[in-house]
Amino acid sequence: MANTPIIEVQHITKRFKGLTAVKDVSFSIREGGITGMIGPNGAGKSTTFNMICGYYPPTEGKIFFRGQDITDKRAHEYTNMKIARTFQIMKPLKNLSVLENVVASCYFGHAAAKNERQARERAMDILQFTGLYEKRHILSKDMGTPDQKRLEMARALATKPELLFLDENMAGLNPAETEAAIELIRQINRSGVTIFLIEHIMQAVVSLCESVIVLHHGEKIAEGTPEQVMNDPYVMEVYLGTKGGTAHA
Amino acid sequence: MSIFLQACVNGLLIGGFYSLMGMGQNVIFGVMKIVNFCHGEMLMVGMYLTLLLSTHLGLDPYACVPLVAILMFLLGALIQHTLITPSLRTNSFTNLLFLTVGLGMLLSNLALVLFGSEYRTIPTSYSQTYISLGPVNLSLPRLISFGVLIVISIALFAFLKYTTTGKQIRAVSQNPVGAEVVGINAKRIYILTYGLGTALAGVAGSLLTGFYTIFPTAGASFGFRALIVVVVGGLGSIPGAFFAGIFLGILETMVALFISPSYSDLIVFVTFIVILVVRQMIILRRK
Amino acid sequence: MNKNVKAVRAYRRNLSIALGLILLVFILIPIIVKSPYVLNVFVLVFYMSTLSMAWNLLGGMTGQNSLGHAAYMGLGAYASCLLITKTGANPWLSAIFAMVVVGLVAGVIFYPCFILRGPYFTLVSIAFGEAMRQFIINSSFFGRASGVGLPFGKDSWLDFRFMSKVPYYYVGLVMVLAIYLLMKKIERSRMGYALRTIREDEDAAAAIGINPTKYKIMAVVVSAMVAALVGFFYASYIRYIDPELMVQAKSTESVLPAVVGGAAYVEGPLVGGLIMIPLSEFLRANFSAILPGINMLMYAVVLLTVIRFRPTGILGWYMHSKAKEFVDVKLLKKPPVEVFEAVEMEKNRGKEG
Repeated sequence: MANTPIIEVQHITKRFKGLTAVKDVSFSIREGGITGMIGPNGAGKSTTFNMICGYYPPTEGKIFFRGQDITDKRAHEYTNMKIARTFQIMKPLKNLSVLENVVASCYFGHAAAKNERQARERAMDILQFTGLYEKRHILSKDMGTPDQKRLEMARALATKPELLFLDENMAGLNPAETEAAIELIRQINRSGVTIFLIEHIMQAVVSLCESVIVLHHGEKIAEGTPEQVMNDPYVMEVYLGTKGGTAHA
Repeated sequence: MSIFLQACVNGLLIGGFYSLMGMGQNVIFGVMKIVNFCHGEMLMVGMYLTLLLSTHLGLDPYACVPLVAILMFLLGALIQHTLITPSLRTNSFTNLLFLTVGLGMLLSNLALVLFGSEYRTIPTSYSQTYISLGPVNLSLPRLISFGVLIVISIALFAFLKYTTTGKQIRAVSQNPVGAEVVGINAKRIYILTYGLGTALAGVAGSLLTGFYTIFPTAGASFGFRALIVVVVGGLGSIPGAFFAGIFLGILETMVALFISPSYSDLIVFVTFIVILVVRQMIILRRK
Repeated sequence: MNKNVKAVRAYRRNLSIALGLILLVFILIPIIVKSPYVLNVFVLVFYMSTLSMAWNLLGGMTGQNSLGHAAYMGLGAYASCLLITKTGANPWLSAIFAMVVVGLVAGVIFYPCFILRGPYFTLVSIAFGEAMRQFIINSSFFGRASGVGLPFGKDSWLDFRFMSKVPYYYVGLVMVLAIYLLMKKIERSRMGYALRTIREDEDAAAAIGINPTKYKIMAVVVSAMVAALVGFFYASYIRYIDPELMVQAKSTESVLPAVVGGAAYVEGPLVGGLIMIPLSEFLRANFSAILPGINMLMYAVVLLTVIRFRPTGILGWYMHSKAKEFVDVKLLKKPPVEVFEAVEMEKNRGKEG
C-alpha cells in the first residue's frame, strides 16, 4: 500500500446558496511530499482547503485519508488522525503568551501530553524549532505578522501531525521573511511531515512544491510539477497573464 | 368568545410596547453588537421624566412624549460618549455586558434614592375612560398610546430605510470597517444609535404612564422582553421586532387566560429558550 | 545551576511563608474578633467569592457569560433543603445530592444551548434562571413563594447546625480554599487550556483537536455544581430559602467580584470579593436606613469606575504595576523567569538521564 496517496479528493463540489464555489475537483497528495495549490482570488482555494480540513463538508464528493473516508469528520477530530492545519487569518490565542499557545496544543491530538511537564517540555522544543523561543513570554497579540504566522505553524506542529495543511502561510511577508518561512517548511517536511499548502507567492510554490494544482473559477485547470504548470498555456493565460512566470517574483 | 377577543386586544396593546422596546434594542445591537442590559431601566427613566414634567410643568403625559424623547436622546448620547465608546476599544464582551448591567443598577437605584419605592401614577381626566367596540372594551389611554407607538414604529422604519443617517446606521451595522472606509464616522453613528435606542425606550416609558404604575424596577420585565423580541424577531430586522413584540404580548395574555396569570412569565421564558435553540439548530443543519 | 536552584527554593519558601501568614490571619480572625456582624461579613465574603469563582470558570476562563448563577445556587439550596425536610437525610449527604442534581440539570439543559455563541448564551442563562424561579413559585412541592425552612435545634456538626457564626466561618473558609485549589488545578490542566483556547477562538480550538461542545458542557456542569455547593452552604447558614434567592439581581451580584477583581485570573473573584462585599455591607449598614438604594447606587458607581478605567480588573492592573514588582522582587526575592526555566530543564534532564 506504499503507493496509496495520503489524501485523495474525489469529485468534490461546494455550493453556497446557489453559488458554486468549487466544482468537481479531484486530486491527491503524495505521502512525504510538498503539494501546493494556487489560483487567482476567488478561485475556490480556501473553500477546497476548508472542506479537506473538515471545517464544512462538501455538497458532493468524497475525501479519503489513507484510504479511509473522512468526508464527514468534524474539524476537532482531525488532530487524532495526525492532521493539523493553520489559518490564513491568524487565530493566535491573543491573551495567552506564545509559550501557553503552544502548550495548549501539546495537550491535544493523538500524542497528547499526559501532564504539564511533558506539555511544557515539548512546547519548548517546538518553539526552538520554529525560532520563537526568545519570544516565548510575549503575549501573542503583541507580535507582528511574521511571528504570528510562525506561531500558527508551531501550534499545528505541537499536535505532532504527519500531514500539515498550510493556508497562505507566507502572505504579507517580505522577501527575507518569506525565505525564512520557506526554509522552515522544508525543515518540517524533512522531519517526515507531508505538507499541503495554498499560496499566492509563486516563488514559494516553485521552490517548495514537487506537485502543483491550479484552480480557476472553482475548477481544476492544471496539475503537475511547477515547471509543467507554469508552461501550461491555459494557466499562463488565466493566472499569470501573458507574461509567463514573472508575476510575483 | 368576547373574553377571548378582549384578551387578544389587550395582548396587542401591550405587545406594541414590547415591539417599541425591541426595536430600540435591535438598533443598538445591530450597530455595536452589544446587548443593552439597561434598556428596561431606560424605560423606567422615561416614566419618571414624564412624571416630573407633568407634575412640575402641568403638562399632559402625552404632551411630554417629545420632550422625553429629546432628553432621553441626550442621556443616551452622553452615556455612549463617556462610557460605552471607550469600553468598545477593550473588545471585551464581558466588560461591555457588565457596563450596561452596572448602568441599569445605577439608574434603578438612583430612582429609588430620588423617588422612594412608592408606586406612583399620573392621574388624567381620561384615564378611566373606555371605548366600547362591539364586545371589546378599550381603555382610552392604552388606545392613544398604541396609536402613537404605531406611528413611531413606521417613522423609525422610514428613517432607517430612506434618510442618509438611517442608511449610514444600517451600513455600520452590516460592515463597520467598510462603512469607515467610505467615510462614515463610526463614533458619531454610535452616539446617534445609542441615543436613538434610549429615546425609543424612554418614549415607551412615557406612553406607559397613562395606565401603568411608576416604580424604580418597573422597567425590568420590559427590558428582558425587549431582548426576547430582538432574538425571536431576528437580529437587525425592524419589522421582525415589531411582529415579535405583538406575538409576545398576545402569547402572554393567552397564557393568562387559558392557563393561569401566574404561569405567563414561565411560559414566555420557556418559549423563548425553545425558539432560540430550535432556530439555531435549523441554521446549523442548513450549513 | 546550583545557584538557580537555591534562588528558586528561597522564593518558594518566601511565598509559602507569605501565604501561610495570610491564612493564619484568616484562621485567627474569629478568635480575636467576637462581633457577629463582622463574622457575618466574612462568611458572606467566603460564599459569594466561591459563587463568583464558579461563575469565573464559565465567564472568565471559557468566555461564556452566564447571568443565571443565582439560579444554580438556588436550585442547589432547594435540592438540599427538600431532601433534608422531606426525607430527613443528613445535610452533608444532601450537599452531594444537590451538586449531582444541579450538575445534571445544567448539563441536560445547556447541551442544546451550546450551539449558541456569544450573547445568545447569556440570554438563555437569564431566561433559564427566571424560568426556574417562576417554576418554583408555581410549584407547591417547592413551597411556592413562601419558601422552605430548615429545622432548628441543638448545635451539631452532624447536622451542620450552629447558633454561633464561628463554625460557619471555618467551613466557609475551607470551602473557599478548596474551590480555589480546584480552580487553580483546572486552570493548569488540559481542561483549563481547552477552556481558554475556546474563549479565544472556537475554530482555533477545533483545529488543535478540542471538541468545543464537550469542554463547554464540562465547564457548565462543574460551575453549576460549585454554585449548588454554595447554595447548600447558604441554606445551612441562613436556614431559610425562598425564590427571591434566584432573582436576576443576585446573578449579577455573583459576577461582580470576578469582574472587579479581574476575570482573567483565578484569584480575581477572591480579590474582588474581599473588596466589594465588605464595601457593599458597609454601605448597606450605614446608609440604606437613611436613604434606601444609596448603597447599591454607590456599588454601581464603583463597578462602572472599575470597568471604565481598569478594564482588566484590580488584578489586571496590579499585574502590570510597580507594586507587583516591589512585592515580587523586594519582598519575595522572586528570581527572573529564565531561572525557573533553567531549573525546570535541569530537573527534566535529571529524570530522563
